[in-house]
Formats: sequence, structure tokens, C-alpha cells
Amino acid sequence: MRVTKLLLRKSEDPMNRSLVRMLTGAVVVSCLGAAPVRAGINIQIFPPALFRATTTPVYYEGHAAYWYGSRWHYRDARGWQTYNQEPRYLHDYRAQHEPQRHYYGRDSEHRH
Amino acid sequence: MRLLSMTGLALVAGFGLSAAGTEAVQAPSPAGGASTSSATPADDQAASELKEHHRHHHHGGVTKFIAMSLDTLGTDDAKRPQIEKLQSDLHAEMTPAREAEQSLQLALADGIAAGTVDTVKVDAAIAKLITAADSEQAASLDTLNKLHAILSPSERAALVDKVQAHWEVWRQVNHEEKPGGREPGGRLAELTQEVSLTPDQVNKISAALHTALAGLSAKFDPQKGETHVHAFSTAFAGDSFDAKTVTSNANAHLASRGATRMVLFYETVTPLLTPGQRTKLAAELREHASHQAAA
Repeated sequence: MRVTKLLLRKSEDPMNRSLVRMLTGAVVVSCLGAAPVRAGINIQIFPPALFRATTTPVYYEGHAAYWYGSRWHYRDARGWQTYNQEPRYLHDYRAQHEPQRHYYGRDSEHRH
Repeated sequence: MRLLSMTGLALVAGFGLSAAGTEAVQAPSPAGGASTSSATPADDQAASELKEHHRHHHHGGVTKFIAMSLDTLGTDDAKRPQIEKLQSDLHAEMTPAREAEQSLQLALADGIAAGTVDTVKVDAAIAKLITAADSEQAASLDTLNKLHAILSPSERAALVDKVQAHWEVWRQVNHEEKPGGREPGGRLAELTQEVSLTPDQVNKISAALHTALAGLSAKFDPQKGETHVHAFSTAFAGDSFDAKTVTSNANAHLASRGATRMVLFYETVTPLLTPGQRTKLAAELREHASHQAAA
């Protein structure tokens, strides 16, 4: 905020002001994304209930794994876990199979 | 000085963006070329249809969540016929409650089409549904024991997680969703799409639902459902299981809550719809009822 104020002085021409605003925005966005990475914090989004209830998992290493948010997730006694490196088996499975979702709509073939 | 400041900002931005990019995961192309990227729940068709399902089907409570969880359990091919048989048995054990719910939905549909819901008829149907739902757990003991015996520990854990997921979705749409709320994916948004409500109708229906459903939350105790789901989950995930040991039974409580909320919704919106909209809505509700009959 201080940087922005210092740079946006009244004497500056509009073009420079625009450039400064753009760069400031880029700094904020990039820092938001990079800070957790550099701090060793891994922010994960686990598959929500709506997804798990309608998706067939893939069983691997004794767990039901779900591909969600471009990662594989599974649940164990400690809670939800994420594979940071995609296991070969799951990688190959994903390359060869369509995601299996179940549709409960009135036009879908399913049992109520 | 200004130039230095801007250059510094650009460098920091570039460094930050490159660092963030190191977390990207390379995705292979799936068979058929369709995207494997995960959809967000809000704009996901499967998620939307599940919410609509849980808004209209309350006859099985936790027993139904178990049966539905088998739809996506993903067991190996060798087990599949047996799993399907057990799922079919579970559906059969829920038949009395399912038929009671079907009667309720047809009575509601008749009322919607006529412009006035017969509350006496509807209340009697709800009472029948609650009684039938209460007896489902006892009827399904043997089937649940067989199911436990056939599933591996990882499949049992997956099933338990799915039951909890269905309970979470059911609770969200039948208890936590704000009455008359206009959020995308909410019941009013769905109705707006189904029968093409005008903005004026949306305003009136939103206000009417807010009033009609105001006192409903106090009549439902989500802890009862939570206790039942937790008791089942803990027992079923274990190596040995006897369904009789799961003594919590919230099926009637869930059936009562879900059916009452559904009825109040339709009773409230019916007088605010045009005859054409009522005809369309009644037809959609009859479809829900007819699908149950096929189970």
C-alpha cells in the first residue's frame, strides 16, 4: 500500500500511473500465489461432498483416490491427503479412462 | 527513482509468478480426449442433479444414502453382480417408504396443477412416509451384513465416506439452505429455470418462502442424523460388523424433515405461479414420482 502511494504522486503522467497500477496488481497476485509455496505451506482443496457422492474413485495403495483440482486425493485415518507427485499407476489410469460420474437427473438412467 | 521502483515491481512480479508455476501438475490426455479437469461443484451437472434428487427423495434416510453410495463405489468387476444384487435388495427393503413418498408427490402434483394443495391428503401421506421410513433400518440388517462381508477394507472406507458425503449434501439442501435464498444452484434458482419465473415472481416467492419456512429449522435436529451416520460409519469401517449394533435411527426424522420442507415449498409457490407454470411444475414432480416406481 505504501509503495502504491509513493509511486502514485499527482505529478506523474497518466500513462505512468497506469503502468504502476498494473505492476502493483501483478505483484499482489504473484505474491499471493507464491508466498505459501516459498513458506512451505501447501494449500490444498479436497474433493467436496457433492463431488465424492457422484464420482467413482480409483483404488490405489489401499485407498479410494479422487482426481480433483488437478491432483489425486485420498482419505486415511489422519484425514484428507494429496499426492504431490502423481503416482505412475494413477497417471496411467487417468490417461486411459474417462472420469466416471453418476447423474441423478430425471433423464438419467439410474435408480432412486 | 521511479524507473527503479517500477523495475523492482516487475522483477518481484515475475519471480512470484514463476515460483507459483512450479506447483503445476502435468495432466495426461484421457481416453476419448475429454477433459479430466475437475469441475467445481457450483457449475457441475452431476452435482446439481444430486442436489435436486436430495430435495425430492427422503424415503430412505441413511439407508438410502448407503444404497446410493453403491452407485459410485467402483468395486472390481468380479464383485459387481453381487453388489448390484445387494443394492437391489436395499431398494426393495425401502419399497413401503418409497411408495408412500410417491403418493405424497402425486398428491402434491395434483394440487399444484389445480392451484391448491390438499393439505389433509398431503399430511396423511407424510405420516405414512414417516412410519415406513422408521422401519427401514430393521428391514435392511441382513443386507448390510452381507454388504460388509463382501467389501474390502478400502471399499468399506470409501462407502462410509460416500454415505457421509450424501448426508452432507442432504443436510445442505434440506436444512442449511436459506429459505427463499437466491444463490446460484439454490432451490429458487432451479425453480426460476424450470418454469421461467419473472423477476417479480422471484421477489414474491422469495419473500413468501422466507416466511413460510421460517419456523422449520427449529423442528429439525441435525445431530440425530449426524449420530446415525457416525454410528454406521464407525461400525461399518471395522473388520467385523453386525448391523444390529447400530441402534441410532434417524431415518424417520430425515423423512419427516425432507418431506415437510418439500411440501411447504410447493404449497407456498403454487398460488404465485401462472396456470402454465403450474402445469409444467406438476409434470416435473410427477416425473420424480414415476422414477421412484422404477426402482
